Amino acid sequence: MNIERAAVVGAGVMGTGIAAHIANAGIPVVLLDVVPENAMNRNQIAEQAIAKMLGTEPSPLMHPNNARLITPGNIEDDLGRLTEADWIVEAVLEDPDIKRNLYRQLDAACRPDALISSNTSTLPLKVLTLEQSESFKRRFMITHFFNPPRYMRLLELIAPPDIAPDLFDAVATFADLRLGKGCVACKDTPGFIANRIGTFWIQTALLEAIASNLTVEQCDSAMTLFGIPKTGVFGLLDLVGLDLMPHVLSGFKQSLPAKDRLRAIGAVPRLLTDMIENGYTGRKGLGGFYRLKPDAETKIKEAIDLQTGNYRVSEKFRIDGVSHSPEDLKNFLSGGEALNLYAWRVWSDTLSYAASLIPEIADDPLAIDTAMRLGYNWRYGPFELLDLLGADWFVERLQEKHQPIPYLLADRQRLYRTDKQGVLECKNEERRYRPVRRPDGMLSLCDIKRRTAPLIENASASLWDIGDDIACLEFHSKMNTLDPNSLSLTQQSIGVVRDNFEGMIIHNEAEHFSAGANLTLLAPALMRQDWDAVARIVELGQQTYQALKYAPFPVVGAPSGLALGGGCEILLHCDAVQAHAELYTGLVETGVGLVPGWGGCKELLRRWINLPNRPGGPMPAISQAFETIALAKTSKSALLAKELLYLSEHDGITMNKDRLLADAKARALAMIADYRPPEPYVYYLPGASARAALDIAVRNLTLSGKATAYDREIASQLAFVLSGGDTDSLDPLSEQDMLNLERQAFLHLVKQPGTAARLEHMLKTGKPLRN
Amino acid sequence: MNNVVIAGYARSPFTPAGKGELARVRPDDLAAQVVKALIDKCGVAPNAIEDLILGCAFPEGEQGLNLARLVVQLAELPISVAGMTVNRFCGSSMQAIHIAAGAIQMNAGEVFVCAGVESMSRVPMGGFNTLPHPGLYKKHPEAYMSMGETAENLARRYSIARRDQESFALVSQRKTQHARQNGDFADETVPILTHRGERIDQDGCPRPDSTAQDLADLKPAFLQENGSVTAATSSPLTDGAAAVLVCSETYADAHGLPKLARIKSIAVSACQPEIMGIGPVAATHKALQRAGLSLEDIDLVELNEAFAAQALAVLQELPIPTDKLNLDGGAIALGHPLGATGARITGKAASLLHRERKRYALATQCIGGGQGIATILEAVS
Repeated sequence: MNIERAAVVGAGVMGTGIAAHIANAGIPVVLLDVVPENAMNRNQIAEQAIAKMLGTEPSPLMHPNNARLITPGNIEDDLGRLTEADWIVEAVLEDPDIKRNLYRQLDAACRPDALISSNTSTLPLKVLTLEQSESFKRRFMITHFFNPPRYMRLLELIAPPDIAPDLFDAVATFADLRLGKGCVACKDTPGFIANRIGTFWIQTALLEAIASNLTVEQCDSAMTLFGIPKTGVFGLLDLVGLDLMPHVLSGFKQSLPAKDRLRAIGAVPRLLTDMIENGYTGRKGLGGFYRLKPDAETKIKEAIDLQTGNYRVSEKFRIDGVSHSPEDLKNFLSGGEALNLYAWRVWSDTLSYAASLIPEIADDPLAIDTAMRLGYNWRYGPFELLDLLGADWFVERLQEKHQPIPYLLADRQRLYRTDKQGVLECKNEERRYRPVRRPDGMLSLCDIKRRTAPLIENASASLWDIGDDIACLEFHSKMNTLDPNSLSLTQQSIGVVRDNFEGMIIHNEAEHFSAGANLTLLAPALMRQDWDAVARIVELGQQTYQALKYAPFPVVGAPSGLALGGGCEILLHCDAVQAHAELYTGLVETGVGLVPGWGGCKELLRRWINLPNRPGGPMPAISQAFETIALAKTSKSALLAKELLYLSEHDGITMNKDRLLADAKARALAMIADYRPPEPYVYYLPGASARAALDIAVRNLTLSGKATAYDREIASQLAFVLSGGDTDSLDPLSEQDMLNLERQAFLHLVKQPGTAARLEHMLKTGKPLRN
Repeated sequence: MNNVVIAGYARSPFTPAGKGELARVRPDDLAAQVVKALIDKCGVAPNAIEDLILGCAFPEGEQGLNLARLVVQLAELPISVAGMTVNRFCGSSMQAIHIAAGAIQMNAGEVFVCAGVESMSRVPMGGFNTLPHPGLYKKHPEAYMSMGETAENLARRYSIARRDQESFALVSQRKTQHARQNGDFADETVPILTHRGERIDQDGCPRPDSTAQDLADLKPAFLQENGSVTAATSSPLTDGAAAVLVCSETYADAHGLPKLARIKSIAVSACQPEIMGIGPVAATHKALQRAGLSLEDIDLVELNEAFAAQALAVLQELPIPTDKLNLDGGAIALGHPLGATGARITGKAASLLHRERKRYALATQCIGGGQGIATILEAVS
């Protein structure tokens, strides 16, 4: 069975978010909720939820038009519509009676071959299926999404033993391929995997913080050292809502066995109760552990004193001299200061608890690690963190501290290891290693790197053989910023691939494809006013990207996350792009007072000129490219990148990041047979007339306060490039002519104090300056 | 010499560009429907029409080619009717009337349809391919200056306070609302059918509920520093079409056509582009002189409200009592579809002479680039 139509019942935050993400997959979805009392509009709740969602940032939708795929309705009038749905997700209140009553209605209304699932986060399958028919149990399961459904990649699947296998497969496959989810099959235990461990970690971190007399800033900093997102634990509680904790803890108290350690620490601390009672429920309420000072004229961040409950001005806390390296982390956990002891208590308890839950909640560490990475955005799952620290070291520390040692760890052996062929293995409940099997269609650069050595490498990039005569160029500098190393390895790779391979992918598995050119490398040349050095960096980038564009083999970009500036420009020079759906790409150079200098202006302009059905004449294409670059427009999804022409109409989008490399490889393979490099493009541009037109527009924006004086200066240089410089509309311009204009504009701007100020500000704060 | 009369006037509803109900109507269709309705309304024999003269400020895209000739066919006029498209920016369709008047007086035709159209939704102000002369732009940037900035220049030069502009805008809104409630637009407005079959018959620009406070809260639209002109004191970007039937008085008498007004005199003038809004002053003086009249002789005035600041500057030079000015409101409330406005205010002035039983009316407007245009009408007793 294929999922071609879906329905969601319950238009709360989760239900609406799930409906939106199903729409992101291009699937029509009906969104139902109850009819409010005395309502004039019987679909009011669902309609309002959709309207509200359209104004939500970050958007639950990958394109505003996707909202058209969501049809609002109500469960009194529209149950008949459910006959069209292949999959019906229930996301109503966490009340077993309400859910079970609804299921009886759904069971009667839906087609017998449709799957019904619940998005419950707390209720066990056995409670939900109580007194339901046998046929219902064959088509019912739990599909537990994490909030927000578009962005959190975890989907926990809990199915009864007698579920129809084809239904389970259909939903799991759809969730994987079309929704891009990392599906983790869970056992029917309280809180499933991620929230069971996540709640334990939060509660431990909270209680230990109160007991340790530390500040929230200190505790959050200590957590982020271990790959926790920068919200830490207190920022996370503020985000999800403090009032959620008593509900969750009481749920666990009722459902967990008496000896479970989460029950032992499950009491709600007084501070939390008081905060909730007084309306301090986090970001949605008056504030949480952090808040913005009320009535202050400027933004003043405050933090709560965990002992007194009073707010004070928040102070940034940095743990100096400790990197993410295993040695540093181990030293930190072994230290004798309060913060060291805090970190040890939180992590030793959390990791031990996780280890003690195998096989209760999962058969092996991989499921738990995957769930924590994808559901809580941890950089390492608990067992990956254990391996990073060393299981042996960890157990020794437990022994020293007279803490209990979980069975899984007692052998002091790693949780993961690589066999002789380089295949990853994972330790199971019996402490035996079993190979980790990747689903078909998933190709991981990590796995390849475990098995082989790079073909060539330097500090910033490597080239890998990924099989079938395809090579993969990987950037691996910090944030994958591009520097002379990455560019020279790209040039070398072109030679290697030309002689030994049929095609090349540009891909990496970091969170971000590339944050653009490495500005810190530019800084010394700027300090010395060594303009020749700057010119050489510009030329190196231009030559490299041109060489990629005209390489005698197909080049496929496979980006995910940020692809900014030079990272966007490299994609513009690829033959094709297979993008992860979450692609945030743009030519953002004006933010640092520059114009794209590695062919970005040239390529984006060409795309606008060649766009079918664009308005005629020379100006529309120039105006569009000008506006896109001048405003440093960045796509908020791969779909929106197509509208900005950063991606072409023919570029592909992969929803599941784990499938990106395999999809890109398939794309490259398909291009090999008849591959011919593109024909060089010839531009005809109107020169000074177009510049005058653009300047009129920018001048008016400056007068009305929508652009600064220096914006106008940058814009005039951008206009110089996009208008073709001193040309006539009858004179041809080559790509090299366009690159020369880019270089000229870049070098002009880089010498200006306004650009120096923007660059300095960006390097210091990470944020653009408007001067 | 042949007398020239206005024998009929019709316009489409005016709706805001982009978001209004006419946004999806092609300008050629819009003009054709208004022309057809005018001819039906006046009862003129289509075969008698010499020429369709159509004003349009940005004649490109869907407004391109020789739009007037295409509108002849779209309006199903006899194929023998000629067509000419005229561009004098905002003065385009008033210029169309002047051309017809001149032709009639030299026996070059008896019946003319003088129309104007602008879809500011579908052809942006400035057009799709603005390519200014770089040398001229460098030497005389004011030649390409935005209209908002020229309004700010007048506000500064004539010391027109922001609150005075806002009071003027509110009066325009109030007069328009009064006229709507009174049904004063019913005679002139012709419904437009969209290609989906929807019938558009109401003006969409007026904001009768705007309060002084609403206006005071707005940010300057064109000049951040010390700017005084806002969206509320500017005429909105508008879609619309208007048309008048211009013929010789002899023809009107012979065929029983109504005679709303006689054209007494006409004039165009030019001024500095950066204060283009003052254009009506010189044009009016010329027209008055040619008519042998003084401003005091004029009973009714249709002064186009491109901007409140611009209209107030003109009023400092041409003291026109409020009760003679824009009786049914002006462009700040109704909207200003550039190419159509000249036909609207001339047609309106003629209709008002008839309705108010007055003798002389003046229709005048400013023109981007620094020009003015004026028409003086006389009642046919």
